[in-house]
Amino acid sequence: MDIFLQQIMNGAVIGSTYAVVAVGFALVFIVLRVVNFAHPEIFMLGMFSGLWAALHISDNLAVVLVAGAIGAGLGGLVLERAVIRPLHGRNMLMTLLATLGVSIILQNGMAIITGPDPVPYPTIIPNMSVPLGPVSLTARQLVNFAACIILLITASYYVRGTKYGRATRAVAERPDVAAAFGVNVSLISLITVVFASLMAGIAAVSVGLLYGSAWAFVGLLYGLKAFIILLVAGNRYFEGVVFVAIALGIIEALITGYVSSGMRDVVTFTLLIGVLYFRPNGVFGSYNA
Amino acid sequence: MLTFGFWEPVIVIAAINVILICGLYITALSGALSMATAAFAGVGGYVSAVLTTNLDWPFVPALAVATVSGAIIGCIVALVTLKMKDFVLKIATLAVGEALSIAAFNIKYVGGANGFSGIPLYTTMTWVLGVAALSIFVAWRVDKSRIGLGARAIRDDMVAAASTGISLRTVRLVTFGIGSALIALGGALLAHYVLIISPSQLGFLYSLNYIVFLLAGGIQTLWGPVLTAILLSGIPELLRFANEYRLIAYGLIIVAVVMWRPEGLITRSRRSAKGNAAAKPDRGAAAPAKA
Repeated sequence: MDIFLQQIMNGAVIGSTYAVVAVGFALVFIVLRVVNFAHPEIFMLGMFSGLWAALHISDNLAVVLVAGAIGAGLGGLVLERAVIRPLHGRNMLMTLLATLGVSIILQNGMAIITGPDPVPYPTIIPNMSVPLGPVSLTARQLVNFAACIILLITASYYVRGTKYGRATRAVAERPDVAAAFGVNVSLISLITVVFASLMAGIAAVSVGLLYGSAWAFVGLLYGLKAFIILLVAGNRYFEGVVFVAIALGIIEALITGYVSSGMRDVVTFTLLIGVLYFRPNGVFGSYNA
Repeated sequence: MLTFGFWEPVIVIAAINVILICGLYITALSGALSMATAAFAGVGGYVSAVLTTNLDWPFVPALAVATVSGAIIGCIVALVTLKMKDFVLKIATLAVGEALSIAAFNIKYVGGANGFSGIPLYTTMTWVLGVAALSIFVAWRVDKSRIGLGARAIRDDMVAAASTGISLRTVRLVTFGIGSALIALGGALLAHYVLIISPSQLGFLYSLNYIVFLLAGGIQTLWGPVLTAILLSGIPELLRFANEYRLIAYGLIIVAVVMWRPEGLITRSRRSAKGNAAAKPDRGAAAPAKA
């Protein structure tokens, strides 16, 4: 029973990172109607900015996290202004292609700078385990989990509780009507992409600390998962995306623990086909995209 | 026998990509963009590989069976996705592709995770160029046929097309059947050229290449995608001297094409292009309210 709980806890930690990436991906998709394939690479940018800060500025945890956020946020800013904005109003597939091109450039560009293999991350958090009742987590897992949960709560507060969040939801529902009511749709789009990137950057640094390495191709692990989570959850409710992401992390951990790691992706895709067959708009419903 | 020295593999791969893109072009005629191209090609490759290697079949019948199996898979996918809306359909085909990839991964008979190796070398320059020419001819004929016109009508407006008596079912079955058959044929030729086929080759990341060819070339004409398939297969080889930078250049080319030729490299005459744009209101333009 303890092992079972432990697996669930490990899965929830992984799922919380999926949730941050998927929520960022979902926010951009819902508000801008853009499938941002470069989002996982923004995540990767944050991971390396944090690494750079840790090596060259200070290995204080706060400094590293902020550096990750700044690196990813700048990446998101440039991406929105240079690629997504000029393509505003085009077919969704064309923006998908363009962001895909950006993601290829970022992946391979970073691979030239840092090499194609994972780069070690400095040890900032001591490697010790923290007992939590029947289960125990390492300090690194705890930092990763806490960072992701705080990010998700912040995002939830931003979307539901602030003036800009209300404007964001209005744009998500009907951009033309929101614009008629005086919402600056262009500014909201920019803020949304940068906000999603900041979240991804912070989560990326905590993931880098957790696994002790940064990798130019790390985005590949998260990109398709974020996409699937969004489709399974549907894009209507923020909390739905978080729920599905954490559930996916737990399911993966349980299957890896009790069946085999080879079966993990089989389940992911079976889940996807099943959900699309019975609920084509996702478990929690969708806006008309 | 034709020989081209260093250029031979480049030309063979480019020709195979032309075959695949002709198949994908036909599949996408009715607006149903399949995200499982690499998986259909992989089915052809695996079928032909098993027949020639394990069962000692000659090349031509194996190719024929591979082609037919592609057509069957295509028709099944067409039937399953018939009622699905645009975006969901794309994701469903993506899931089909990944499922086939995982299936190949888990079937020991076809080599499992290690892939299927030891496939005999049968594909020659003559074969690929001949089949590529045939595929272009088939795609061109389908494009001009009644089914092709019906498919275009469905792409522009499904309800209006249905009201003039075009059967979505027939159009999807024919376009997916013929398209996937060509794709599987191309995949089989590829398997007999690189001599190994692995499950990861069936995945979405490989299918994405063909979507790039199709969209960068423009879905309005057959020639656009064929041209980009040749160019984008060749360019990474031309840039071989700058090995590390060639993928970056590839990415830059994709971004540049999307930014400056948003309808694809080759488009129809200006007037009909405009007509298309007017038929599909963009995001932000007043979309008809859901009554």
